[in-house]
Amino acid sequence: MGAGALSIDQVVQSVPDGATVALGGIRLQRRPMALVRALAEAERRDLTVVAFLGSLDVELLLAAGCVRELHAPGVGLDPAGLAPCYRRAREEGSIRFVEWSEGLLLTSLEAAARGVPSHPAWMGVGSDLPAVNPWLAPGTDPFDGTPVMNVRALAIDVALLHVPAADGDGNLYVEGDLGADGLFARAARRTLVGFERSCPGDPARAAISRLWVDGLIEAPQGARPCGCHPTYRADLNVARRWAAGATTIEILTP
Amino acid sequence: MTAARSGSGAAIADLLTAELAREIAESEVSVFAVTTPASVAAALAARAVALPELVIAGGFTALDAEPIPAVSLGEAGLFTHGLPVRDWPYDTFCLLARGRVGVATAPAQLDSTGATNLSGIGPLGRPKVALPGPQGLPDNNCSPSRVWYLYGVHSPRQLVERVDMVCGAPPPSGATRRLLTPAGCFELASPGWRALWLTPGGAELVAQAPGFGIRCSGDEPIRTEPDGRFLDAVRAADPDEVRTIEFAAADEAGRRWALAAERESHRDPVGR
Repeated sequence: MGAGALSIDQVVQSVPDGATVALGGIRLQRRPMALVRALAEAERRDLTVVAFLGSLDVELLLAAGCVRELHAPGVGLDPAGLAPCYRRAREEGSIRFVEWSEGLLLTSLEAAARGVPSHPAWMGVGSDLPAVNPWLAPGTDPFDGTPVMNVRALAIDVALLHVPAADGDGNLYVEGDLGADGLFARAARRTLVGFERSCPGDPARAAISRLWVDGLIEAPQGARPCGCHPTYRADLNVARRWAAGATTIEILTP
Repeated sequence: MTAARSGSGAAIADLLTAELAREIAESEVSVFAVTTPASVAAALAARAVALPELVIAGGFTALDAEPIPAVSLGEAGLFTHGLPVRDWPYDTFCLLARGRVGVATAPAQLDSTGATNLSGIGPLGRPKVALPGPQGLPDNNCSPSRVWYLYGVHSPRQLVERVDMVCGAPPPSGATRRLLTPAGCFELASPGWRALWLTPGGAELVAQAPGFGIRCSGDEPIRTEPDGRFLDAVRAADPDEVRTIEFAAADEAGRRWALAAERESHRDPVGR
C-alpha cells in the first residue's frame, strides 16, 4: 500500500517555503482548493507553482503572496473571464512566469517521469516560447534533421491533486478530463491527493495507480468553489465575483 | 453587421456555428476536438447531419465524449457518463501529430502568416496586457491537422499583420487553416489569406483590417443564410443558445452568461 492517510496540516508541513508544487485539475475542475487554502493560510512563501491550465487555485496563491515562479500554459477563469491576480502579476513582473504550451509541459513532465534530462517534441517549433522559457531549446533530430523542440525535465517536489474517489489501497478514480494529473503523479517526488469519498477497489478502472500516490487526505467538498465531476459543479458565481476583483480567500471558502 | 459586436449576436452565431458544422462535415477529419460551446454545438450538428462516426474529443484524455454545450463545460467539460479516464494524457497530441483531428479556436491575435497569440499584448515576456497564456496554440499550429479560427467579430484588434508574440508559428505547408468571421470564410493560402465566401457587407469588414491582408477577387459568393440542415441541428444540439455568448456584445454576453450560469446551477453535475 503506497498511500497513507494524512491530515491537511501534514500536507502543509510537506510543502516548505521555496518548494516546487504542481497543482492538479484542469481549468475550473478538480482543483485541490482545500489544500491550496491551507498553504495560503500557512503563509507559505517563494513557491514555484506548476499548473497545467490553472484557475482559482493559482489565483489564490498569487493573491496570498505565496508564489515566486509560475510554470503554466495558461491561467484563466473561463467562462467567467480572465484571471485578475495572474494578469497583474505578469504585467507588473512581480513573479517569474515561465510560459509553456500544453503539449510542451506534458513533454517536460514525461521526461521527468521517465527519468531523462530532456525529451524532444514536435510542438512549439518556430514559436517565441524559447525566448521566455529556458526549459526549451530548438534543435534538430540527430537522425533525419527534422526541426524539434528539446524540452528539459521539470523537477517537482510535491504534486497536490483532488479526485472524486479513492479506494482503500490508494487507487484514484476520475471521470471527465484527467488533464496532466497522471503525469504530475509520476513526475513528482511526492504525490498527495485529496478525495471526496472512498469507493470499492477496481484497479483496472483506476485513473491513477496507487503506485504513484504517497498520501491521501479525506477532503469532501475539497475542490469547491471549483467543480469535481461528477460530484458537484463549479460555482460560476464565485468565479465571476473573483474575476470582477473580489480576490479574497473568504469568497473561496465554502 | 459592423466590425464591433452588436446586440444579441444570435444571427451571426447561427450562421458561423452552422457553417463550422458544415465545414467539419465536409472535411476529412475523423476526430473533432471541442473547445467552446459553439464548437461543441457545431461538432454535434456535423455528426447529426453527415458524420455519424465523428469522434468528439476534448481536453486531453477524454476521447469519444458526449459533450453538452453548456456554459461551464467547453473543453474541460467532457462529461463522459462513467467512461473511465485513460491514464495516458497524450491522446489529443497524438491525434494532432498524425493529422487526424480538427479543432476550432479563437486566439487573441491571428496574423497574415497564420501565426497566433494568446499570451499578451506588448513586449515579449513583459506584456502590457497579459492574456491567458499560449495554451494549445503552439501545439495546434505545428500540426498537419485542420484548424478553424472562429471569431464573433471581424476586427483589426484580432486580425493583425503580425502577432505581438508568436505562440503558434505559421503552420506547415499544406496544412489547412480556415477563418470564420462575420465577414465570411477565409483560407490561409501562401501568401496570406484569401476569401472563400463573404457575408453581405463582408468586403467592407475585410477592408477595416487591412494589415491582415485578406485577398478578395470580387467574385466571391455572398452567403446570407446558413445551410438549413446544419442550422436545425445546431439548434437541436444547443437549445439554450449558449453558443451566442461567444458572439454577443459585452453587456449582452454578460447577461446571457449570468442566465446560463443560473440555469446550470439548478441542474445536476452531469448537466441533465
